[in-house]
Amino acid sequence: MTGHAPATRPLRVLLAGFSGLGTQDHQTDMYLPAFSAHPGFEVAAVAGDEPQARSAAERLGVPLVADVATAVGDVDADVVSVCVRPEERAETAVRALENGRHVLVDKPAATGVPEAAAIAAAASAAGRVCLPAHHQRFAPGVRAARAAVGGGRVGLPWNIQTDFLVGAGDPVPEGELVNFAVYPVDIVLAVTGQPVHRVHALTAGAPGPSGAERTAVLMLDHAHGVTSTIVVGRGADGIAAPGTVFHRHRISGSAGVLVVDAAGPVLTVRGAAGARALPFDSGSVPALLDELHGAITEGRPADPDIKDALAVARVVAAARTSLRTGLPVDIAAQPQPGSTPAAPTPTA
Amino acid sequence: MESHSAMTGESRPPARPLGIVVVGTGFIADEHIGALLGRRDADLVGVVDTHAGRAAAAARRNGGVRFTTDLAEALSWPGVDACIVCTPNGSHHALALAVADAGKHLLIEKPLTITVPEAVEVADAFAAAGTVLMAAHTHRFYDYGRAVKTAIDAGEVGRPEVVRLAILGDWIWPDWRAWVLDPKASGGHALHNGVHLLDLATWWLGARPESVYARGRKQTAAELDIHDYLEMVVRYSDGSVAVCEMSRGHRTGGVGLRDVMVLGSEGLLTLPWNGDGSPLLSERGFSQVPAPGGNGFAVQLAAWLDTISGQEPAMPVHDAVLAVAMGVAAERSMASRRPVLLSELGIPDRHAPSPGAPALDEGRTA
Repeated sequence: MTGHAPATRPLRVLLAGFSGLGTQDHQTDMYLPAFSAHPGFEVAAVAGDEPQARSAAERLGVPLVADVATAVGDVDADVVSVCVRPEERAETAVRALENGRHVLVDKPAATGVPEAAAIAAAASAAGRVCLPAHHQRFAPGVRAARAAVGGGRVGLPWNIQTDFLVGAGDPVPEGELVNFAVYPVDIVLAVTGQPVHRVHALTAGAPGPSGAERTAVLMLDHAHGVTSTIVVGRGADGIAAPGTVFHRHRISGSAGVLVVDAAGPVLTVRGAAGARALPFDSGSVPALLDELHGAITEGRPADPDIKDALAVARVVAAARTSLRTGLPVDIAAQPQPGSTPAAPTPTA
Repeated sequence: MESHSAMTGESRPPARPLGIVVVGTGFIADEHIGALLGRRDADLVGVVDTHAGRAAAAARRNGGVRFTTDLAEALSWPGVDACIVCTPNGSHHALALAVADAGKHLLIEKPLTITVPEAVEVADAFAAAGTVLMAAHTHRFYDYGRAVKTAIDAGEVGRPEVVRLAILGDWIWPDWRAWVLDPKASGGHALHNGVHLLDLATWWLGARPESVYARGRKQTAAELDIHDYLEMVVRYSDGSVAVCEMSRGHRTGGVGLRDVMVLGSEGLLTLPWNGDGSPLLSERGFSQVPAPGGNGFAVQLAAWLDTISGQEPAMPVHDAVLAVAMGVAAERSMASRRPVLLSELGIPDRHAPSPGAPALDEGRTA
């Protein structure tokens, strides 16, 4: 949509799967509408055994293939939008890449480090774009912050404090570390460019209905002595404007401090009903698809790339270990995708 | 009982104003003396400083009160009931014991002491003497500190789960010779300034701290012996967490950055990063015009005087001991790079009441 030449024809998209953590269905809520609205893409077919797959196919007037594995091999598609059940994502994404498709993979891209590493290896071998749906890094404030930090505006950054808090909603049974934490961890890595060497994690407050964490505090040690702390999870309904997140970053550097309200831009309207916030940016999911389209048509890796999802998966896995042991966890030097990843170990 | 309270608006002077000696005449002493000069129920009798010239100058500035370099001499002056100690942190232990031994009340700058055994010894000495001991955790008495506490206690956010508290600013200390930069004199930054945040967050939450995980940074110079940036994450027994940052290593162009966030089961409380100040954008850049507000030192002084006159302490001795323990835990955590359990620090049960319980023994005559 912006900043690159249009392809000669829209890229053909296979919507594969309508599932996610808990009750999530980002295919229906996010990717289907965004692909449909984007001039660079057209939905060619739908795959999945969920009821939403059938209704989407009927609504769009495109073929439905119940078996995702079959569809990924057979359907004439440039791009597969992978939104199958989390435990099936690695297998589906790898198969799509091996069949020469480009891949958009829902968050979380994989349930663990080995699965994320397998996708990254397949993407590397196939030479295809594999974009994890870390769409929050396209929030206008975050994009500006990346540019400012990358341009030296705060000097050498040495600390980031981040809050990413969502209303009560429907906590995922697996815990919010594998769900919401992906976004702020990805952003902190994207802003600093510094890999994480050490992770300490605490849960805060009451757990969700499944007993898994609803809110967590992550304390990360990065390369070059950079540190970050992330408060992420669920609060009460109403803590952010409808459809938005309480999302902010404070980036401290040797030359200054950048205070980012990533929930903006919003209009504030005050009246008899109280104050309301009306967001007015064009949205981070359309921006994510712009990036997918640009990477495919320009023949370059996407930003974010599946390697970024692998880096996030390592942090999340270490955080889970830290929650279990109560101790900080060192992450071994990052192996290249395809090699056997080292298991996180609690610090002695 | 007489009430000295500026917090309740009542004020009726006792028959004779309380006679007070200020020990240590650095910049923070001027804040306490300023608060003192606004009261009719307490008088500055004299000042003590190890440096005779400084003591004389402070005495002269304040109406020609008495001065000495010898605390024992000051404690023997007629009409002395209490002391305000504003000396380097490492001297607090010995000075506090001398005040307790003389049977005087004490308001002492934070931290109470720089080690846990010293804090316990001082607390016990005042309990035995039956006089009032209060550590100057002044942020409890600032408008914002009280407003957040009132909101939490009123249930505005439901059950508090995460507190974020950051007080960040530029380098304000003198050169390498500043005692604050000497860990032996200051206890380190976690004891020097960190205790402000550790105490305030703990007071807000009303919960018992279990462990501290701290990360520090020597941002202004690698050769520093203290961490000018501190991040101290406290875990409480009720599952809540506080993220406390204290910094003199930021570069904010002279603008103080304060961040307060309380995430609760039913809401989210925030304070704008610039507090109650008004931004001033001018040809000289960005600055802030602070809004006039309550004088935290005056409110704190009133609370101390209230405690001396028999009211429940606004800053209990146990909390001052706990603040020292949390500061020590933060320093140890930075050294070991691991969370430090408060239970490892040897706080006796008599100084670790359960949070919210009535204070049983606050070192004063009932």
